Amino acid sequence: MSTLAAEFRNAYIHGSGPALATVFTPIATTNSPHRLSSFYDFTNAQYLTQDLASSLFHGKGLKVSKAEQTAWVNVFAAYWEAVGEVLKFEDGHSEASAAAIFKAWKKMAMALNKGYTDAGFPAWTLPCMYTVGKFLRTFAIKADNEAASQSSTTFGVLDDVAADVEKNAYLEDGARIINRMFTLCLTDRAPIEDSRKWGIYNITSLLFKTYFKINSVGLTKNLLRAINAQSHELPPLESFPKSHIVTFEYYIGVIHFLDENYTEAEKHLSTAWRMCHRQAIKNRELILMYLIPCHLVTTHTLPSKQLLASFPQLELFFRPLSNCIRKGDLVGFDAAMAAGEEEFVKRRIYLPLERGRDIALRNLFRKVFIAGGFEEPKEGQPPVRRSRIPVVEFAAALRIGTHATGRTRIDIDEVECLLSNLIYKGLMKGYIARERGFVVLSKNNAAFPGTGV
Amino acid sequence: MSNSTPQGKANASEQPQQQQKPQVLEEDDEFEDFPVEDWDQEEAEQSATNEGNDHLWEESWDDDDAAEDFSKQLKEELKKVEASA
Repeated sequence: MSTLAAEFRNAYIHGSGPALATVFTPIATTNSPHRLSSFYDFTNAQYLTQDLASSLFHGKGLKVSKAEQTAWVNVFAAYWEAVGEVLKFEDGHSEASAAAIFKAWKKMAMALNKGYTDAGFPAWTLPCMYTVGKFLRTFAIKADNEAASQSSTTFGVLDDVAADVEKNAYLEDGARIINRMFTLCLTDRAPIEDSRKWGIYNITSLLFKTYFKINSVGLTKNLLRAINAQSHELPPLESFPKSHIVTFEYYIGVIHFLDENYTEAEKHLSTAWRMCHRQAIKNRELILMYLIPCHLVTTHTLPSKQLLASFPQLELFFRPLSNCIRKGDLVGFDAAMAAGEEEFVKRRIYLPLERGRDIALRNLFRKVFIAGGFEEPKEGQPPVRRSRIPVVEFAAALRIGTHATGRTRIDIDEVECLLSNLIYKGLMKGYIARERGFVVLSKNNAAFPGTGV
Repeated sequence: MSNSTPQGKANASEQPQQQQKPQVLEEDDEFEDFPVEDWDQEEAEQSATNEGNDHLWEESWDDDDAAEDFSKQLKEELKKVEASA
C-alpha cells in the first residue's frame, strides 16, 4: 500500500492526472510486479477505511478538503475490493470470477463518479475517469464472455432471443455508468480552465466503442445530439489533445459510413488520418479500412501501391479488388468479392466495395471505346475517336474471361441494361440507338467523364 | 487490447491472389488507445515532411494496361459472337 499511497500523494501534490490514473490501473507492471498484491495485503476489511485515511492524507504537503478526502477513501476502498477480486482471479481461486471483478469495479466507478458530483474532484483528475471507464468496459466484456461460456456448457443452446438479451448484460450495465461519466463531463459548470468538458470527447469515444460492441450504434446519435446542444459552451474540437480528436473523428466517420453517408464519412476519416500518430499502425490501418471504400464511392479513386504497402492486411483486402477494377476485369472482381465476402461483411464494408463493380464495368467499356480507334481522318482536323460503337462489341467484352463458348447465347437486353445503368449514373455519356444496335457516345473527350476520353 | 499481436502478417508478402481468403482478424479488433495523449503535427501522418494525400490515391483506370492484348481478345470474342449469331 505504501507504494500506491505514495504514488497518489505524489500525483496529487503535482496535480498530475496521468500519474493519478496510473495508481488506479489494476495491472501489475514489470517494474513493480507486486504493486497490486502489496496494496491488497496492507490491510483487511475491518481496518480498511482507517488505514486508507491515514496513509493517503496524514502528513504534510497535501491540502484536500474533508469531503474530498472521504470521497477518495471511498474510491480507494472500492479499489481495494476490486483488486482483491483481480488477485483471486489471477490465482485461479475457486470463487473467483470475471463477474465478481466487474461488480467490484463498477462500485469503484460509482464511487469515483460520486467524487465528482458531491466532493468536487478537480478536473485535472479526469485521466482517472478515463482509466476507470476503460477498465469497466474491459471487465464487463470479460464477464459477458464468461457468462456466455458458462451458459453454453451448462444449458446447451439457449433460446435465441433470451441469449441475445443476456449476451451483453454486463457491458450494458457498464455502459450506463460510462454514460453517467459522459453527463458529468458535458454538464460541468466550472470555468473552462478547470472544466470536465475537456473530457467530453474522450469519454464519448469510450461510449461509442461500447455501443458498437453491444450492437447499438443507434444510441451514438443521442450522444451527438447532446453534444450538439451544448456545442456553444464547448471549446472547439481542434483545441483538444490529438488522441481525443483522432479517436472521436474516427468513430464519427464510421457512424456516417454505416449510414451510407460516404461523403460525410470521408471528411471525418480524412481528418482522423491526417492527425493520427504515424506510429499508431493499428489505428491508421483501421482508419484506412473505411477510408478506402469511401474514396472508391465518392471519388472513384483507388489506394496507391505505396499506401497499401505498409499495411499487409489492407493489401490482402484491397489489392485484388483494385487490380480488377483498374483492368475492368469483372470476373476477377466477382471472385475477389466472393473470396473476401466473410471479412467484408464482418467489417461492414461489403456494400460500398460492391459499388466498385460499376467502376470496373466503366473501365471495361472504356477499353472497348479505346480499342475502337479513330474515325477516318478529315483533312486538317485532329483525329476523332469512333463514337458509334456496336452494342455487340460491349457484349463481346463482357464475355472475355468467362469461358463462354461460341454457342453461349448473349442477352443483348442485359448488355443494354448495363449500358443504360452506367449512363444513368453519369459514368458514361451518350445514348443507345436501339433500332440500329449502336451506342452513340459523346465526343470531345466526354464519353467517360473524368477519365480523359 | 494493445498487447495483442495481429496474426496474418506472415503471409502478406506472398503474392495475394484473388482466390486467397483474407486472414481472420483478431476478435477484438478495435481502435486502440494512443500511448500518448497529444503530439505535434510533425509526428502526425500529414506533417510538413510528409505532405498531402497526393501519393495515396490513384485513378481507377489504366491506359497503359496492354491495350493491344485487349483489342485482340475483343476481336476473338467478337468472332465467337458473330459465329453464334
